[in-house]
Formats: sequence, structure tokens, C-alpha cells
Amino acid sequence: MLQEFISALRASGVRISVAETIEAFRAVSLVGYAKRATLKDALSATLPKSLQEKEIFEECFDRYFALDRFSGDHGEPSSTAPEPDGSESPLSRMVLEGDRDGLAVAMRRAAREVDLSGIRFFTQKSLYIQRILQRMGAERMDGDIENLTARGDGSSRGKAAFLRQAREILYENVRDFVEQQFPLFSKAVTKEIMERYLRGVRLSNLEQRDYERMKVIIKKMVKRLNDLHSRRKKAAKTGCPDLKKTLRENVAYQGLLFDLHWKARKMDRPDILALCDVSRSVETVARFMLLFLYSLSESIARIRSFIFCSNLVEVTHVFEEYGLDEALERLQKGVDLGIRLGRTDYGQAFRDFKAGWLDFVTPKTTILILGDARNNRGNPETGILRLLRERSRRIIWLNPEPPTFWGIGDSEMKRYAPYCYLARECSTILHMQRVVDFLLKTKQ
Amino acid sequence: MEKKYLTKFETAEGIRDGFKKTGYVCSRQVATTLYLAYHLDKPILVEGPAGVGKTELAKSASLYLEAPLIRLQCYEGLDESKALYEWKYGKQLLYTQILKDKLNEILDGAGDLESSMEKLHAHDDIFFSPRFLEPRPLLRALQQKEGAVLLVDEVDKSDQEFEAFLLEILSDFQVSVPEIGTIRAQEKPFVFLTSNNTREMSEALKRRCLHLYIPFPDVRQEKEIIRVRVPGLADRLRHQIVSFVHELRRLDLKKAPSISETIDWARVLLLLHASSLSASLIRDTLNVLLKFEEDMEVAGDNLHDMVRRAVVKT
Repeated sequence: MLQEFISALRASGVRISVAETIEAFRAVSLVGYAKRATLKDALSATLPKSLQEKEIFEECFDRYFALDRFSGDHGEPSSTAPEPDGSESPLSRMVLEGDRDGLAVAMRRAAREVDLSGIRFFTQKSLYIQRILQRMGAERMDGDIENLTARGDGSSRGKAAFLRQAREILYENVRDFVEQQFPLFSKAVTKEIMERYLRGVRLSNLEQRDYERMKVIIKKMVKRLNDLHSRRKKAAKTGCPDLKKTLRENVAYQGLLFDLHWKARKMDRPDILALCDVSRSVETVARFMLLFLYSLSESIARIRSFIFCSNLVEVTHVFEEYGLDEALERLQKGVDLGIRLGRTDYGQAFRDFKAGWLDFVTPKTTILILGDARNNRGNPETGILRLLRERSRRIIWLNPEPPTFWGIGDSEMKRYAPYCYLARECSTILHMQRVVDFLLKTKQ
Repeated sequence: MEKKYLTKFETAEGIRDGFKKTGYVCSRQVATTLYLAYHLDKPILVEGPAGVGKTELAKSASLYLEAPLIRLQCYEGLDESKALYEWKYGKQLLYTQILKDKLNEILDGAGDLESSMEKLHAHDDIFFSPRFLEPRPLLRALQQKEGAVLLVDEVDKSDQEFEAFLLEILSDFQVSVPEIGTIRAQEKPFVFLTSNNTREMSEALKRRCLHLYIPFPDVRQEKEIIRVRVPGLADRLRHQIVSFVHELRRLDLKKAPSISETIDWARVLLLLHASSLSASLIRDTLNVLLKFEEDMEVAGDNLHDMVRRAVVKT
């Protein structure tokens, strides 16, 4: 029973190790199953290990250990039900005796025996309902009904009618039970399949309805990036010996250098300037690029974001002030930003950047440009990009178009690419992830 | 192993009552977790917003068990020598100086280098014996014969390496000192780790601990806490205080007032001999509850409504 609950938890995305499972069993053997609240507390202490997991746990616990009562719409069954005479099947007898708890237990047992935890898709629901009914002995109950009808006397017919009605109720109960348990076991699988699918789909083909899921994926990715980034390497922290301090501290040991002290090296925190194209040619992708930027700016302190179309404006404050949805809405519509959403002009964008923010570009800065480099045949201003490259640590260009389209038509990508440390196609989440991985690898 | 304190950990209800006597009001969840932690010999990882009494829980546990509280405050750069043990360099050096003559005596008569080495070896590692060991909190907790409550505070502030290093202690209650050997706990300490979630703890650490999340308490529980911690406060005022603080927490604040701040505020009001909340009184004492200028402004804007709601409820 507990094992099944744990697998349901796992399916919902709580990571539970074998050691924790054993722990949970020991905890339950200490507190027992008698009190629901205590059981919940005990499991909550041993299984979920973070606030998010606790929330999932609450939901799963309530669903799994729902107080399942057999419901019947015929009021008090025992008062109107005919007496069993011993010739019926166990299931029919339970129904006649009105043993609701017994029925609930039988249903649970049947569900375990047919392995309800294996249910994955909603199309399997009716299959499992039938299997559970069968395992509970519904067929023999049907047999009873037939026998009773065949006998034909008054009391038998009444009994048959009663059983037939009870059979309906039984079916409804099993159906409700399966409906209730289904999300426990199926959620993770469907989620997994959807995520895998979404990762591979081109950003421009994504629908609005996938947007929510996308948010989650991107958040996850940024979190991973941040986790890796914030992991501190001890080696990186110690630099050369601090002679002054060492001498001072070792005076106590007659000047013998017992205790070495090291100069601490400052942590290299990322310093990012991100420029994002929001023109019509990249409209469908821009939303996701901005989403990516937003998530980045949430987790990286020193990031400044800009958007450009016909000109370039800084939008760092928008990310800071507003929630995700509102920020994106504002950026795409250009509310109060002074951005002109006319023809895309990379040249003008670079000129604006040079005029306003060149001083912020230091040898530590990484410049991240998200755009398709379609400049409407204007001046590409490659000179400024070269200047930026010289002053910054590196330039990374993520282009939603595949490399075969680079340089075709009004695309200036071929001219920009030589100045970039990294120029990559970035049209799916998978691409984005690869870029992130690449960056992390080259960092070390 | 013969278990100490068994009588104190017989039931979760008993624990709850016992803790209340020490001035800590714990919820059912907390009591059950303590109960399990004792019977399963597991450390407890306590998480929750700042000021909900995570550290207080460990202190109360030490009071309840009448065992010493050994506290290890974590910070960036904390390492073994500060957390576990250190050799007393100075003392070692001093002793070699003092014992110089003695050493000469011992080495007297030894003809060559080899035989003097032999003689020295006979005396073994006298300078690396427990006498020269300076125990730091973790080792000290293991050495307590009567058991102890070990509080590893704000473990999320420590480095990843230190976290990994904690694992040995947490799972087996033993540490290895290369020069001496493995030191086992005489009596397993009761371990609390607290975290403010500035970074995610590693899976390995979480797996070895029971996890306890302490949220802000509900009105009823917080009233109980105030009753225990600030005796002498009138029922009506207590109710108003707690209702008002709950109203405050609902606002969009940079830092919501924690339990400790509610307690402070209750004490302040007690000192001022207040009998009932009023807008002007709150405005004068709001700085006890809120620590940011912006928060004060936000609260100031809604003050009248909140006071009315808090007072009307009584």
C-alpha cells in the first residue's frame, strides 16, 4: 500500500530514494496507520524534501488516501435489502449486507491485484474499470442475478432487482475510484512526453497553449544553469600565498612558517548585456527569447537587457518591476519604452548601444545578441560590432534561422559572424540548452 | 543501544506538552517529526521563512532534554579546522621546547641517527594525542557523554565541500582524525540543521535527514505562542495583535513580520501599557514589526483598514 503511494509520488515528480522508502516504512511502523493526520505528518517528514515537494505530497496524499466510502443512492441499504440466504457469491453477500467498508477494501485489493498503478493513458480507464470489477467478482454477481431471475418467485425477483441496482452503483464507485487514481499515475508520463516533444519543436511553431509548459521548461533550464554557476570551486577561491598575513600570524611560532595564509581570489560572477530583437520577422520567436531573458534576469544579478527594432532601448527595469506576463506584454507592445517598432535596423541599434552603453562593456562582459540579423539592407555597422568584440570578453549570437539561411536575402549574419565568439542557430529549446551547456563547459 | 530520554519521547503528545513548558509551542507536524527523529536516529533539516523559530526549536530541544546545546554557525569558507578539530600548534611547540632536556636525556647514549629514531618511535605520537586536540563544535558534540543537541545553523550558507563533509557525521555519527583514528559518538547527539534556502541543499544531505518545513503559524497557534512567551498580556489585545500581524503578512512586503517580531511587538505594547490597538499607536511602534522603509510606506497606506479589520474581529 505504502509502496504504491510512493510510486505515485515518484510519478508526480518527487524524487524518492530507496533509503527514504525504508525510512518511511520505519516511520509508519512507529506511528501506525491508525491516525490519518499522524500518518501524514510522518510521511511528510520522511518523503518530500523541499517546499515544492511538500505541496505535491499534500495533493497526492489527499488523493491517494481519500476516505473512500462506497456511496449508494438507496438510503439505508440494510433496512430495505433482502436477507442473504448463503447461496450467493461473496460480493453479492457483501452488497446485501450493506458492508460498505468491506466493499471499499475489496475494491482496493482488486485494484492492487490488477496493478492499477500501471495506468498511463486515459484510454485505459475503462479497461481497468472492467478488470477491477472482474477481480472483485462481478461476474459471479451477474450469475446470482440471473439465477434469481430464473427462479421467478416474488422475493427472488425483488432480490434480483436490488442486486441489479447495486451492480450499477458498484460500477459507478469503481469508475470514480479509477478516475480519482488516474492522475496519480499518469501525470508524470504525459508531462514527460509533452516536454520531450516541446523541446524539439521549433519555437516559431509553438502555440499559445504550449506557452505555459514552455515557461516551466525554461525556468528549469535557467535554474540548472544557475545551480552550476553558483557552485563554488574551492580551487578557484585560493590564489597565491598572502605573505604579510602569513608572517604576522606565524610570529607566535618563532617565525617558523607553520600556518600558511592565502589570498582569496574574487569570484568571477557573470556580467551579461543581452540585446534582443523584437521586430516582426522574429515575432514568434521573440516571445520565447524574452521569456528566456526574463528568467535569466531573475536569477543573475548583473544582467542588463535591451530590446531593439528600429532603435534600441534598455528594458532591465521592466523585468525588475513587473511580473512575467505583464513584462512580456509591455515589451512586445513597446509600452512607455520609446521603442519604434518600424523596420528592423541593426545598424541603428548598434549605434544607439555605442552611444549610450559602451562604457559598460568591460573585458568581463559577455554580450548576448538574440536576433535574425535581417537588416532590411541598411548599413550593418560591422565596425561597431568589432569594437564591441575588442572591448568585451565575448559576443554570443543566437539566431533563430538555420545556418543555411544565413547571408541569404537581407541577412547580414555572415558579416556579423566573424566577430562572434559563438554564433549558433537557436530555434528550439534543445538548441538553447546546448548553447547553455557549451557556455558552461568552456567556462572551466 | 540503550536509549536515553526514552521517557521524554514516548508519544508525540508528550513531546508537545514538554516543549510547551520550555516556551515553545509546536504544531502536530513538528512534534511528530521530533518523535520520528528520535526513534529513527535521524537529523532534522528545518526549513522555513526567517524568524519562524527554527533556531528556537533546537534551543528548546536542549532545554527539554536538559542536554547542552552545541551550536555551529555556518558561513562561507567554514572548513574542518573550524567545525571539527584543530591541533593546538602553540601548545605542541611550547611542549617541545620545555621537554627539550627530557628529549636529550632519552636520546642520550644513542649512538647514531638510526637508534635515536628507534628510541623516539618508542614514545610514539605523543604530540598528536587527544591532549593536543582542540575540539570544535562537531567533535565536541560527539564527545559529550550525556548526549547533546547539535545545531548546525544556516547550513545553506556553507560551501558545497563542507556539506559533503557533514555527511559522514550525520549518517554514522563518527568522524575520522587521521592521526588518532575514528571517533565515535558516545551518545548520539540530537541534530538539527537549519536552512533559509539561499541555495538548494544536495540530494545526499536531504536523504539523510528528516525534512521539516515550518511555515508562518495560523492565528490560533500564534496567539498561543504569544500567550506562552509574553505572559501578562490581555486576551483582547493579544487577539488584536495577532490579527493585525496576519493582516500585515497578507500585504506585498519585502519582509513579512516573523514570529519573533510579533513577540517583540507584544512586549513593546505591554511596556507601553496599551489596552487596545489604535492607528496612532501602531504607527508609532510599527518599526518593531517592519524593517524596511518601503514596507512601512505600504503598511501606512492601508493602516486604517487593517486596524479596523483586526479590531472588529474581536
